[in-house]
Amino acid sequence: MDKIIETREMPSQFSLIQTKGTLDWAYPAFILASTAAVMDKEVEMFFTFYGLKTILKNTQGLKVTPLGNPGMPVKSPVGPEWLKKVDWNQSLPGLVWTLPGATLLATWGFKKQMLMQGQVPIEELRGLCLELGVKMTACQMTVDLMGYEQDEFIEGVDFAGAASYFAKTPENQSLLI
Amino acid sequence: MLIKLDTKGLACPMPIIKLKKCLAQNAQDVQIMMEFTDAGGLKDVPAFCQQQGLLYELVQQSPVMEFKIWRQTL
Repeated sequence: MDKIIETREMPSQFSLIQTKGTLDWAYPAFILASTAAVMDKEVEMFFTFYGLKTILKNTQGLKVTPLGNPGMPVKSPVGPEWLKKVDWNQSLPGLVWTLPGATLLATWGFKKQMLMQGQVPIEELRGLCLELGVKMTACQMTVDLMGYEQDEFIEGVDFAGAASYFAKTPENQSLLI
Repeated sequence: MLIKLDTKGLACPMPIIKLKKCLAQNAQDVQIMMEFTDAGGLKDVPAFCQQQGLLYELVQQSPVMEFKIWRQTL
């Protein structure tokens, strides 16, 4: 009984661990975090391994590739309607995505599709998260491991280890991306 | 005071973020007419309002969806 009362008195929190460093995995994290923040939850994001890439000042490295990514629909954002309906990830052999320029093309198409859908660029979305009070922590161990410098990260990011993250986050829920 | 909030063409979570900012920037007695085209908003806007203790009313569903939103007054 005591336990239930204690849980109810806990502030509403949302926490998310970002381990992926591609553009298609950056969007869901920042979309969920900003939504939770808007709904007055205390939001903690912890960035580790490749996830660090999503909070670098330079977003040139944030790409998306259909290679080894069978869940990703690849549709042309331009052209006639019939062409826009074709899922090239289903109809072309995977080998195609190894060709030079394929990742560049897929990233361009993805960005264009997101903007056409009414999404904002990732730089703006993560900026909004910070503005809304989302706490971002970069895993110091992986920052060192990946050879990043602290000044390569956007303003507002803290640097700490996993223990600091778990000390500040909900007792029984975490979302790993 | 009645103000218009245009979030047409914006996708989740931008309409809710704009609504939140609009509420923060305006007086207690403001009434917001929020226009949006993001279909998820039909459920998300009420969910947000309920969670935030706001009152709302679906004004129209087409061609553009529109909610009227205001704060509860005691």
